[in-house]
Amino acid sequence: MASTTLPLSLTDLSSQLSSTVERASQYIVAIRARRRIPSSGIIWRDGLIVSASHTVRRDGSVPVTLPNGDSLDATVVARDPETDIVVLRADGLPAPAPRAQPAESSVGSLVLAVGRPGRDASASFGIVSASIDGWRAQQGRRIDGVLRLDLSVYDGFSGGPLVAASGGAIGLNNSALAGGAAAALPARVVDSIVDDLLSRGHVSRPFIGIAVHPVMLTESMAGRLNLDRADGLLVLSVAEDTPAGRAGMQVGDVLLEINGTRLTSPAELLDALQATGADESASVRLARASELKTVTVTPIDRNTGRDH
Amino acid sequence: MTSHPFTSEYGSGTTSSSLVDRLSQWVVEVRNTGSAGAAIVWGKSGIVVTNAHCIREDRDPEIVTRMGTRRGRLLAVAGDQDLAAIAVPGLAGPSIKIRDPNALKAGELLFAFGHPLGVHDALSMGVLHTVARHQNGKPKFVVADVRLAPGNSGGPLVDAEGRLVGINSMVVNRLGIAIPATTVARFIDRLRAARAA
Repeated sequence: MASTTLPLSLTDLSSQLSSTVERASQYIVAIRARRRIPSSGIIWRDGLIVSASHTVRRDGSVPVTLPNGDSLDATVVARDPETDIVVLRADGLPAPAPRAQPAESSVGSLVLAVGRPGRDASASFGIVSASIDGWRAQQGRRIDGVLRLDLSVYDGFSGGPLVAASGGAIGLNNSALAGGAAAALPARVVDSIVDDLLSRGHVSRPFIGIAVHPVMLTESMAGRLNLDRADGLLVLSVAEDTPAGRAGMQVGDVLLEINGTRLTSPAELLDALQATGADESASVRLARASELKTVTVTPIDRNTGRDH
Repeated sequence: MTSHPFTSEYGSGTTSSSLVDRLSQWVVEVRNTGSAGAAIVWGKSGIVVTNAHCIREDRDPEIVTRMGTRRGRLLAVAGDQDLAAIAVPGLAGPSIKIRDPNALKAGELLFAFGHPLGVHDALSMGVLHTVARHQNGKPKFVVADVRLAPGNSGGPLVDAEGRLVGINSMVVNRLGIAIPATTVARFIDRLRAARAA
């Protein structure tokens, strides 16, 4: 087997790493919105900073220290508690973070976590240890591509960038997402949350108003209904004045499919609703007594009108 | 061309195996508390420097080198700086190059060498996290994102060229804390001046 050429000495690698940190530090700010040490934020778009919501302990105006040491006040625009992202707006910010190439965040890539928990930028070094699909945020929203990191996300690093060798941002570091383990939300997820937050002030959470539990239908029941599989979701409750109630769903119904996709776990229902989106109708196939029925349900945005 | 940052026999700069060769010539083990610490042979001065917390002041420590074990004589302890100097006449190592902590850059590679958890001559790699400073701006500690364990205490933290950055002395919040090499050099210089006087 031909060996890979390794054309770099430690000295070269070291100076490349420190210049990567220097480049990245130009788009990292310190946010002073909690006791103890400041947290980090990334200049994500023109005039916009993103950070970890749990580190920005107040709303309204928040003092921020720029890479050049200047201070200014940023304003909290919106937060998504579920993915722990906060967006702040400020005038006079330097240029936003360039994005890393997709190949720079594959498992095994060398990466740096860079933060500004004070005046100076500081760094830690490691590799991407895994990319997790199907990570569940607190309320069950599915997020693909969350990065598990073999590096230390130190105090004050949450809200700062995971930085690729090129100096571009791979994502947003947050030690609170995965139970204290080092993790980062990929830039594409951050972008979609930021888009929602800017356009709506919150992130859309399609909701129909039922509680479900996975069940198996009896063989005779499945046979009578001509079903090839017997698993589904038993409806445990239907809240009043919700899309499910309006669609005529009842306690005791067993949901089998939504938009043609089999339902075997509550998570699959959540994913299907997220994919459908609020105010778009979905077709649900269900078993009631010994009959098969199809109902049309139109999810609403659960977060609409919420006070953020 | 595929590029890969870890080389062992390529280019003109330092490699991690040449670093280990060099370090193992100036790092020894110090014993007198039951647990072992690391210590640095300070050039040809006949002095070995380690952390104050690695030695007991009421007893002369044993110095374990590749050539065998010798008893050293405790010369000085600076508890506030966590430094101790031990005289081991005749023991000499390669000359030590000092790295000024003010010239360190966040993200640059650093290496710790010592005897973590009793494993002899072990190398660990990390990067500079930050330089912690006194109120007056003078460097107080070199803070490194590097994995240290008991047994690394008293051992060197070096840069990619093998220059001494500091003496590893604590772990705080998982970060390695080292006494800056300039502080160590001043401690030794004062000691030698006092002996000469």
